[in-house]
Amino acid sequence: MTQPKRLSLEAERTLVRRLKARDEQALGELFDLLAPWVLGLACRILHDEAEAEEVVGDVFAQVWRHVHRHDARRGPLVPWILAIARNRALDALRRRRRWWRKAERWEQAYGVGQDVDAPTGPDESSVPGWPLHREVHAALAALPEEQRRVVLLAYFEGLTHSEIARRLDQPLGTVKTRLRIAHQKLSATLDHLKDWLS
Amino acid sequence: MTDWLGMAAHPRSPHPELKTRVLGRALERRRWIAPLAAAALLVILAGGGSAYWASRTIRALSAERDTLSARLAALQDTVNTFIHGTATRLVQVPVSTGGRLGAVTIFADDAHHRWLVRCDGLAPNEPDQAYQLWFITDKGMKTAAIMPMDQDRPMVMALEMPTDHAQVMGAAMSIEPRAGSAEPRGPMVFHRLL
Repeated sequence: MTQPKRLSLEAERTLVRRLKARDEQALGELFDLLAPWVLGLACRILHDEAEAEEVVGDVFAQVWRHVHRHDARRGPLVPWILAIARNRALDALRRRRRWWRKAERWEQAYGVGQDVDAPTGPDESSVPGWPLHREVHAALAALPEEQRRVVLLAYFEGLTHSEIARRLDQPLGTVKTRLRIAHQKLSATLDHLKDWLS
Repeated sequence: MTDWLGMAAHPRSPHPELKTRVLGRALERRRWIAPLAAAALLVILAGGGSAYWASRTIRALSAERDTLSARLAALQDTVNTFIHGTATRLVQVPVSTGGRLGAVTIFADDAHHRWLVRCDGLAPNEPDQAYQLWFITDKGMKTAAIMPMDQDRPMVMALEMPTDHAQVMGAAMSIEPRAGSAEPRGPMVFHRLL
């Protein structure tokens, strides 16, 4: 197994500085570091490789155009880019006319939360940021099933509280409570994350 | 902490050509934006320049309009003074120039020592000639005005009477060289004692 590449806080700052200075090579390096995660997240949300690749294109174009808007005081670069990727993917998801049917088909086929426990291939561990992935993965896996389901539906499918309640046939208050508790637990578990090394 | 939840998704190795496609697209936009920004800047500059030019022109025209309005009001005031003044005498002199009949009308305001003279129907001058109006005074003929007439249309002018204690006794008009003469030498159009 190859050793995963790592991005320190200082390396991230340097990369952001170069991106802001319109260094095209820096964009290529950023792609190498983050494309697997952006593509993975988009695929996880969209379940469509071609659409996910479109999202990847949108994300890196947006990052390149608006990298000056990234404020390091408000958070590291990686979550900022992941948030862009999630929003873009959810936008694409919402544009689909048949997205409910597709989501239901997918849920029937795989079940919600399947990703959390999915096996990983040996090559995946060489992707930069892998240790962080394992940490987030473990934090999600540690949640009780009913809490993990609401978090996954909210984050990866962009459902509102009401939509989650309808989907799971649960009272709205129950959904809100589960989400709140899940977020508290995740915050406590992942609070120390500052960059890919933390 | 949901910011990091995206990392829970399994990574996927992108196809090798995806990087080329994505970077090409991101950087292509940048190359496309630069000319667009330049064009937008050009449009803004052109628009700004046009607006500045239009504003300057409007200001200049407004100032000219105000000046002309003031001059017109002054002229109207002058004409009213001549026409309605109690000390104004009206003298109309029929004239014949170039085989055509016309008239010179004089509003003589002795109170303010001014004349208003209107010429109608005078034939246009030869290019090197002009009509010259004279005051007939007790000290001789004194020039009142030189009136080159190149177009066939009425002419109105206000004249100050001589201020050298000469008594004005009448008016005369002759045809002189375009620069005027010190005393009448050319053909006399009219000679009239008031």
